[in-house]
Amino acid sequence: MINHHPSDATLTSYAAGTLPEALGLVTATHLSFCPACRDAVALAEAVGGSMLEDLAPVAMADDALVQVLARGDMPEPPVMTPVREAKLPGPLKYCSFGRSWLVAPGLRWRPLRTSGRAWGGLLVAQPGRRFPRHAHTGLELTCVLRGSFVDANGRYGAGDLAEPEGDHDDPPSIDSDEPCVCVIASEGFRLGGAFGLLQRMIGL
Amino acid sequence: MTGAPRMSPDVGHAALIQAVASHADRQAFAELFRHYAPRVKAWLMRSGAAAGAAEELAQETMLMVWRKASLFDGARAGPSTWIFTIARNLRIDRIRRERHPEELMPDPADEPEEPPQADRLLSAMEREDRVRQAMGTLSAEQADVVRLAFFQDKPHSEIERDLGIPLGTVKSRLRLAMSRLRSALEDLC
Repeated sequence: MINHHPSDATLTSYAAGTLPEALGLVTATHLSFCPACRDAVALAEAVGGSMLEDLAPVAMADDALVQVLARGDMPEPPVMTPVREAKLPGPLKYCSFGRSWLVAPGLRWRPLRTSGRAWGGLLVAQPGRRFPRHAHTGLELTCVLRGSFVDANGRYGAGDLAEPEGDHDDPPSIDSDEPCVCVIASEGFRLGGAFGLLQRMIGL
Repeated sequence: MTGAPRMSPDVGHAALIQAVASHADRQAFAELFRHYAPRVKAWLMRSGAAAGAAEELAQETMLMVWRKASLFDGARAGPSTWIFTIARNLRIDRIRRERHPEELMPDPADEPEEPPQADRLLSAMEREDRVRQAMGTLSAEQADVVRLAFFQDKPHSEIERDLGIPLGTVKSRLRLAMSRLRSALEDLC
């Protein structure tokens, strides 16, 4: 049962294709768990379709149709998407990650190799640990893959997505018996404590 | 299907896509091209692409329409929604390739999906029509934040600056707009 979802603003940006890559991946991971949000994205995509219909057309090049038909007659190059991480759910299977770091006792971080103005990665936290204390200045999304954590807004289990509004200075703590695995992306947050030191060291 | 088929433009466009899928109908494709290519180009330019890049990507989009016509599923999305998502995915790919050419990320939208859940009684084309009508019933302020979400590759914090309203207000307007659209669709079920 999924209890925590992205905001409509996030789902709409996802449907519009304007979320930075790492944030789009966290959203897509939640979508792979959540039929209700897939419906919401389908609705926002229909808004995109209706927006397209209402736009004033901009003339194409004179030979555009001929060019496209000529290319359409050529054989289509095969597209391969290799599975890199068979154990990860949804879209994360195809992602490329850096190596895993022990960033604090009981906390491992594996950065996602993505481009754009957001950054992200996998956080593996042992039972009883707290997430690194931090404040953020932009959109931050966390989707639980395994285990669970609790914060002021409740309990987050597999598939749940946390989208904090504004600063949160009460870091979530792991309440599952197994390690909690999350995929996290952020437009920019600043960490405190040991993790923040690491963040400054590696220049995030 | 219940009742007489309505002759909205989308019904015609869906039939054209099916003609491309079933017998590579060039006439049908030409008609789709004339309607959609200039609109896709317009959207890309509004989203910040230069005219040349927008032309190229609009051609790429129509090439995909030609190649992938058999994957068009009228029960899932209407023609303009389907073509919008193709253009959107190509645009995302293009931006990523420019940033790191060697490492092409897969598009999440390529993941096989289960059928959409809620509005299964509603054909996707009725939904598209209905969404278009419902867009007209939004307040000017709500319509603005929705439109901005589709036209600009910007963080919400910059939308905030452009509209001169706080981020919380942008988010709550979007939420109201989307829930209004959602209820417009539920009325039909």
